[in-house]
Amino acid sequence: MAAVLEAIALRKTYGDVVALHGLDLSIEAGEIFCLLGANGAGKTTTIQLFLGFIAPSAGSARIVGLDVATHALQTKQSIAYIPENVMLYPNLTGIENLEFFTTLAGRRAIGRAGLVEILTRAGLAADAAGRRVSGYSKGMRQKVGIAMAMAKGARALLLDEPTSGLDPKGSNEFSRLLQSMSADGVGVLMATHDIFRSKEIGARVGIMKHGQLVACMGTEDLSHRDLERIYLEHMHD
Amino acid sequence: MIRVVAVKELRELLRDGRFRLAAAVVLGLLLAALVFGWRHAQAVKAERTAAQSIARAAWTGQGDKNPHIAAHYGMYVFKPAGVLAFVDPGADPYLGVTLKLEAHKQQLPQDAPAQDGTAIDRFGQLSAAAVLQLLVPLLIIALGFASWSGERERGTLRQLAATGVLPRRLLAGKALGLALTLALLLVPVALVATATVVAAGESATAARLAVLLGAYAAYFGVIIAVTLAASAWAQSSRAALVALLGFWCVTTLVVPRLASDAAGRLLPLPTAAALAQAVHSTLATGLPNGLPREEHIDTLSKALLAKHGFAGAETMMDDALLQGLELQAEAEYENAVFDHHVGAVMTSMAHQEQVGQWAAIASPMLAIRLLSMALAGTDFDHHRAFGRQAEAYRRGLVGAMNDDFARNAGAAGWQYKANRKLWHQAVPFAYRPAAVDQVLRDQQVALAMLALWAVGATLAAVLVSRRMQVL
Repeated sequence: MAAVLEAIALRKTYGDVVALHGLDLSIEAGEIFCLLGANGAGKTTTIQLFLGFIAPSAGSARIVGLDVATHALQTKQSIAYIPENVMLYPNLTGIENLEFFTTLAGRRAIGRAGLVEILTRAGLAADAAGRRVSGYSKGMRQKVGIAMAMAKGARALLLDEPTSGLDPKGSNEFSRLLQSMSADGVGVLMATHDIFRSKEIGARVGIMKHGQLVACMGTEDLSHRDLERIYLEHMHD
Repeated sequence: MIRVVAVKELRELLRDGRFRLAAAVVLGLLLAALVFGWRHAQAVKAERTAAQSIARAAWTGQGDKNPHIAAHYGMYVFKPAGVLAFVDPGADPYLGVTLKLEAHKQQLPQDAPAQDGTAIDRFGQLSAAAVLQLLVPLLIIALGFASWSGERERGTLRQLAATGVLPRRLLAGKALGLALTLALLLVPVALVATATVVAAGESATAARLAVLLGAYAAYFGVIIAVTLAASAWAQSSRAALVALLGFWCVTTLVVPRLASDAAGRLLPLPTAAALAQAVHSTLATGLPNGLPREEHIDTLSKALLAKHGFAGAETMMDDALLQGLELQAEAEYENAVFDHHVGAVMTSMAHQEQVGQWAAIASPMLAIRLLSMALAGTDFDHHRAFGRQAEAYRRGLVGAMNDDFARNAGAAGWQYKANRKLWHQAVPFAYRPAAVDQVLRDQQVALAMLALWAVGATLAAVLVSRRMQVL
């Protein structure tokens, strides 16, 4: 299958500090790739390079085959981004936020009814969609974030610790939604600290340390305990 | 895309209680200023119209007398209130409105309304122009200082950037959203003001009002662009707010004061006493680099005699005719002296205003203040135009009296008396404000400065938003 997300010798430095050492990574359509690592390991830097928020010092980040640096607009049309805290406009309702971001992403044709349905599929109760976001919990905002990705029809999803701070039920619901999107062919790169969730939903897991991808493995033959052990071994090196 | 962003901005602002409170305060002040300004302007208009009628009645009812004595008796004229004084009283409260027109004397308007003001007036009067020039920019700053920086701080800027929307479209949408929010407040007020002006039979003023509204729209556009540029440039909303309040203080308080002081120092004006002394001295001795007084009057007399076909025939002329022409020659000499001194003062004042117009390069508020006063008919240009027109009327009136004396006194000489028929022949003085195109020509530097600010602020906003860091 074709790679939807691809890092080729991707490097980022800040002066003498190397945040990312020549990362090579390829994520296919429908694949969920979980990136584990301590704070400062380079997970967020990797995601920000794919988003084009920061420019690479060397190498390239590609989305559906297009270099992010040279095709900023086209690549953004193919991705959706869900940060640790999906930030929305507090004075607008959930549906108004979704409508706004979806229209900006060029998906105006969906219409209000279609967006309500997407929000419902994302797990947000219908009555909550019409309430202002200022009263939403974190889990509800994350669901709006998922709805934004679904409405946009993104081919790749970039997630930066999206389940951090969610209660187990919320985290589980979020994971189910990701798997659903993955089943629809969306490639997912998720930076996370959650080893359990990585094993549960990830097809592959990568471990980052000091800006390097020090391990990369499939999850199918791994137990939770194995993954935790491997992770801790790398952290203690 | 731009419309979507604008509607979102508008919706957010309208749902923000802080905006509703600030808007209510500004709107309340603006409406109060307009209502009180309109009532005051109507009262002033009625007062001056009544005073002018009394002065006219005094002139036409002065009884039979020698026409040159009548020219000494003179008449009062009153400067009508500026056509849009209810919007912008400008310099009117501090400039004289009463002018005595009489033979041998060119006077400057006296009796500034501020002289009759109460002590509290010294703290400044609330006018619609003050609200529009000072408070509306503060409202724009309050609405827009976090436009970009707030997005960055909240994290929504990352969400926006991830959609792939172009910064320039976001910028245009944000600017349009702010403009729409402001329009919701101000357009109904502008419509009511226009309807009031037209309903009061002041349709000629409507053109001025339309241009005035356009100028204020441009001014608000400048403030919106500056606000968005600062918000995109600043690292935090707090820094943006501090920078914008600094900009407001410098451009609305510091630069106008510095410009005024600089104009006063570079082009000082004589005091009224010094001017009167200079005129008195020149009247007695003659113009600098000119002929002495008697020779100058003699030259003018000969020119008048030649004009009337009596060159070299003075000894054969009727005494009254000769005296009448000599009186006119003396009047023309006095006019030349007045033109010399008062003209110099007026030229200095015009140059002072030029300094103010050029200083607008450092303050858009200065540009709109000059334009607003000019379009309202309450600036120095209009004041000078009133003085010029009144002086031209005075000269015509004195000339007509002297001419009647010369033609009709005959053997009666100074015992000759004209009657009400002559007084009625003098048409009442009517001040004609300049046409709007003339006003704009006079204010072309201020207009150019406002346009420069509009272009510069827009470019700054575009460039800063393009280079803005998402993180």
